[in-house]
Amino acid sequence: MHAASQSFMDRSKAALSNPNLKVAIERTAGTAERKRSTAIADFSEFAATRERGRRIKDHVIANLDYYLKEFERNALASGAKVYWARTSDEACRIAIDICKRAGAKRVTRSKSMLGEEIGLPNALLEAGIERVETDLAEHIIQLAGETPSHIVWPAMHKTREDVAALFKAKHNPPPESGDVADLVRSARRQLREKFLSSDVGISGANFLIADTGALCTVTNEGNAELTTTPPRTHIVTAGFEKLVPSIDHAFVLLRLLVRSATGGDFTQYTTFHCGPKRKGDADGPDDFHIVLVDNGRTRMLANGPKEMLRCIRCGACMNHCVVYRQIGGHAYGSTYPGPMGSVLTPVLDGLAQSRDLPHACTLNGKCEEVCPVEIPLPSLLRGWRDRSWREGLEPRLMRAGIGGWAFLARHPALYHLGTIFAVKWMRLFRKGGWIRSMPFAGGWTEYRNFPAPARTTFMQAYKAHRSENSDDCA
Amino acid sequence: MTAREEILGDVGRALGRTAWDKASIAAEARTLLEAPDAIRPSLPTPSAVESFLQRVVGPKVGATVDRVSSLAGLPGAVARFLAEKKLDTKVALQPTASFTSLDWARAGVMLHNEINEGVVVGLARWGIAETGSLVFHSAADTPILFNFLPAVNIVAVHAHTIVPHMEDYATAACSVGSAPRNACLITGASGTTDIEGSLVKGAHGPRDLHIVLVDDAATAGSLEPGT
Repeated sequence: MHAASQSFMDRSKAALSNPNLKVAIERTAGTAERKRSTAIADFSEFAATRERGRRIKDHVIANLDYYLKEFERNALASGAKVYWARTSDEACRIAIDICKRAGAKRVTRSKSMLGEEIGLPNALLEAGIERVETDLAEHIIQLAGETPSHIVWPAMHKTREDVAALFKAKHNPPPESGDVADLVRSARRQLREKFLSSDVGISGANFLIADTGALCTVTNEGNAELTTTPPRTHIVTAGFEKLVPSIDHAFVLLRLLVRSATGGDFTQYTTFHCGPKRKGDADGPDDFHIVLVDNGRTRMLANGPKEMLRCIRCGACMNHCVVYRQIGGHAYGSTYPGPMGSVLTPVLDGLAQSRDLPHACTLNGKCEEVCPVEIPLPSLLRGWRDRSWREGLEPRLMRAGIGGWAFLARHPALYHLGTIFAVKWMRLFRKGGWIRSMPFAGGWTEYRNFPAPARTTFMQAYKAHRSENSDDCA
Repeated sequence: MTAREEILGDVGRALGRTAWDKASIAAEARTLLEAPDAIRPSLPTPSAVESFLQRVVGPKVGATVDRVSSLAGLPGAVARFLAEKKLDTKVALQPTASFTSLDWARAGVMLHNEINEGVVVGLARWGIAETGSLVFHSAADTPILFNFLPAVNIVAVHAHTIVPHMEDYATAACSVGSAPRNACLITGASGTTDIEGSLVKGAHGPRDLHIVLVDDAATAGSLEPGT
């Protein structure tokens, strides 16, 4: 984890002073933004599909009790074992117990943000079980000893040069060159044998299909099937907001998910997994375990933000976030970064630990605009800010500052006088229309210039304008 | 109290209910799928087969295509592809009954059992025009790894099994029995954009996908979709 002892401000400062990071983020997020825009322009039914997708998610949330039981019933009928976990610890304990019962020495894992959320990588480490991450980006960050910085591209913070240096040091034999194609080939070589010698495969789920008890995984690499087919045991850990009524409902959401995430129309591999290997099947696991994870989701249902249960984890909100694009995912210090992460983290870690995150937002509304299930992210972020204020979590300086401002706002004469002095004072520091540095404004001017204010305040100009036109207005 | 009871109890309390009407939930779920054409891409041509072919050779799927008039033409199509790509003439066949009666030797195609990093020939159960997907259901004659371990994947698909949209596949699959362990919708070769967003083929699975359309149902263009 990125030093939890550091504050969000410290982590952001470190991120902003790392030019390499900005390059890495722009290369991937910039491409994702452009490709999404093209994919949506090519899909004229997008707006209608988005509205339907939102309604499907809301329908499931409003009937979550029914769909949980329905999914469980059908999964059990398919031969799966179903477990329920209240907390992340409970979920990890269940998964580790299954691994131990299976006598697992090596576990392959297909990328799952839920697995990251519950701390499964660490739980496997503590249990002394070898964990092999099979998604290319997860493989990169496992070798680097890092955590994901994006929910779709966990290694977004790494440039190809970073990856080349890492593989050269850790792969045996090393990659032929620093070319991206050679790096991918090298990872393929490293992981191929591990897929086939794994005792347990662990995956997440993009959708849980209630009427069959199946779950759906989507990947472009094919690592989910290579993870879940050869081992004797397949474990799924999934948050229960992933439920959908049927496969046809999943198709509606898949049309939204893939376009929003990568700008593709459909992932290369979309696979439904239902129960263990059937009698006579050529391959597949003998045991199939599904761990349904709560970890704050029932709390969200009861106390909000309920709309966040719609999230299909596409990552579009972070690709389009001006803050994320500057500081990257690690600065958030949480499993989920960006706008959706800033809404989810206070649920998972508590608002007292994470009150900075809902503040790290310009409220430009871009995330809500691109969200494929219409989550009102800016409103939810404002909701956390409001709750943080009401619960007295804002620092004293902030409370005093806002208190002072509120006092002035209630006394317009004082407010106008204050702005007249402020404008005069600020103009002392202007150079060519910009303020490059000014006492008490370092937090702003360290990173960008501040536009110098006009000679007069708005109210002065307004009064002058009124007296000039007083005859017309009479 | 078990975690299950606690969770279901909390969910019920949050929703303010302890019981529900299954029929009305099912009815509401059905209304969410109404007017399907309003919430999915329209196909570029009225023919599902032609739309499928356009889709799979397009940049988003990036496969190559050959057409044969019957399954008997498959070995020849495989030989053509191998020659064109200058590949070894040894292939592994999916253990499906319809392949064993074909004359592979006459086409100059040698058979072996090595699927790891090799060339394989498989038979998709359905094709989906909307996405350009090939669908496989796990079975005794359909190993799932067969589509993931090779370097080059050659897949035959019968024209009459190509359906217009994903929902049509679900309907067709439903009519053949209960859900298999795995239903794989394969849409192109294995790829990754995990390093700087640039696409590289052959991440973990096949780097090439070659589709052989077996045009044995009727002449393409007059095909009824979803049959």
